[in-house]
Amino acid sequence: MRLTRLERLILVGPLGIVIAVWLVIPALLGLLATLTNYAPNEPFIHLVGLRNYELIFADRTFASAIRTIAVFTVAAVPLELVVGFSLAFLLRRPFRGRSLVRLILLLPWLVSPVASGVMWHFVLDSETGFLSFVGRWFGLPSLPSPLSQHALALPTVIGVEAWRVAPLVAFLLLPSLATIPRERWDDACLDGLSEFGSIRHVALPAIRPSVLAVTMLLIGGALATFDSVLTMTGGGPGTETVTPALYSYDKAFAFSNWPVGATSGWLIGGAVLLAGVVYLRLTRTDS
Amino acid sequence: MIRSWSGQRRREAALRGLVLAIAVGIVLLPLIWTMLAAVGIQPDNHTSPPSWVVRPSLDHLADVSTIEPAFWQELATSVGLSVGAAVVAVTLSFLAAYGIARPGRRAARRLNPALLVLATLPAMAYVLPLRDVVRRFGLLDTIPGILLAEVAATAPLAVYVFIAHLAGGSRDREEAAGIDGASPLQILRDVVLPDAASIVAATTIVLIVLDWNFLLTPLVLTGINVRTLPVVLTDLFTLEREVDWPTAAAALTISFVPLVALIGLLHRVVERFNLAGGDPSGDAT
Repeated sequence: MRLTRLERLILVGPLGIVIAVWLVIPALLGLLATLTNYAPNEPFIHLVGLRNYELIFADRTFASAIRTIAVFTVAAVPLELVVGFSLAFLLRRPFRGRSLVRLILLLPWLVSPVASGVMWHFVLDSETGFLSFVGRWFGLPSLPSPLSQHALALPTVIGVEAWRVAPLVAFLLLPSLATIPRERWDDACLDGLSEFGSIRHVALPAIRPSVLAVTMLLIGGALATFDSVLTMTGGGPGTETVTPALYSYDKAFAFSNWPVGATSGWLIGGAVLLAGVVYLRLTRTDS
Repeated sequence: MIRSWSGQRRREAALRGLVLAIAVGIVLLPLIWTMLAAVGIQPDNHTSPPSWVVRPSLDHLADVSTIEPAFWQELATSVGLSVGAAVVAVTLSFLAAYGIARPGRRAARRLNPALLVLATLPAMAYVLPLRDVVRRFGLLDTIPGILLAEVAATAPLAVYVFIAHLAGGSRDREEAAGIDGASPLQILRDVVLPDAASIVAATTIVLIVLDWNFLLTPLVLTGINVRTLPVVLTDLFTLEREVDWPTAAAALTISFVPLVALIGLLHRVVERFNLAGGDPSGDAT
């Protein structure tokens, strides 16, 4: 069934308009704004060249934010993929109670990043938290929250994000794993492949497109990390957990410096698009 | 041989059970800790060994509307906005996906990965100029303004999923309906949509969750008239209003309830969500 050009236009047009006006045009305006003194209610908008970029790259807080998000992305994305895939692998075969386990493992994803940040802030707190509670059983003094310690804050934020996202990875990969015919697992077993051999030679090749798509989603989410950090640590202690998105938001709304806010926001967008180019190349190679 | 095979199976099942039990424990621990605090059951970490302060009460749940008088209205706004944005996004996305997938599989395969990249574009890259665009339309701090922003942000993912589904399926029934004289609209309504009902329903639920959890977009595009729950929670915990843990836990617990109820009731539906486009119902066993 071939559609005429008019029919295609009618089908694609409405969403095309919404995405163009509410996403693509603002994104392009954002890119343009990085080269101007753009701000709401600014009567005279003019080009400033690369001054906004110079200001950002001279700012030590932004340098710290870049380091933080690099560590965060490099640590959190593989961790979420490995844990998520492992859970999906264990859930691929039916067993009694599987449906309930799948439902429970979906719960962290239902907790918004904001709520997750608030919840873990208190759950790790020395007065109200779990760690101190366990420590007291062993006669230890009340343990300070790891979120308040320079060396532990970022690893803790990474762990909390993995708690929220890894089960979602399992949810997204499980359908692809479930479509691998049983005979292929049995053949692998008869060929003498270990569990890791089956994963490498049966599972991963079969679900590669899904793994690539999920990785792209995870990288986009990690680079844009904002909500959970805002409520969990506010970027502290010091600037230990400031992310570029948090920096951007602070600049735009706390310091009313929209040009710098928009520029740092676009640098995050640029990093995601760069990852997107790699993803597009990999999917093109596959097809 | 058979005995060693079945023994290996039993060991694998035991190991799987152990690992999944640990995973379930890690997932549930902070949630149960929070819900206990919400109903007045808290640890006392000042004693050694620690003890529990057990004063069961629903007062903390009631306190939420004291610290945030419009809390219930804001909860209703979040529910309405999430469902509305998801339904609009899914409707428009399904139409668009059909329009993209039907000219040919090659076009769909080329365009689809780009849609996923668009779906990952961080809100921070466009939300500041978007505020200006929305203001110029007179939609700042209105339901349509934020709803359309959420539709634009989530629709690329929905189109990606629908294209993967439509491009992977058989077209025989569509061809047959076309030969019988059905118009494209009739084919879409009577053949394509019923075949895709499960993925459409699952995607709608996934988008409701994504819309519910949005913070940055509503934070920037709304103000006094429209406030969603994540915005309210952010205000409560970042503006130094010094909310105590039981009240915070109560607010969090209430904020979990709508989505947990939705997924609890419809988890069989949401399990059909598949990024790769196939139908996962035929589990490999």
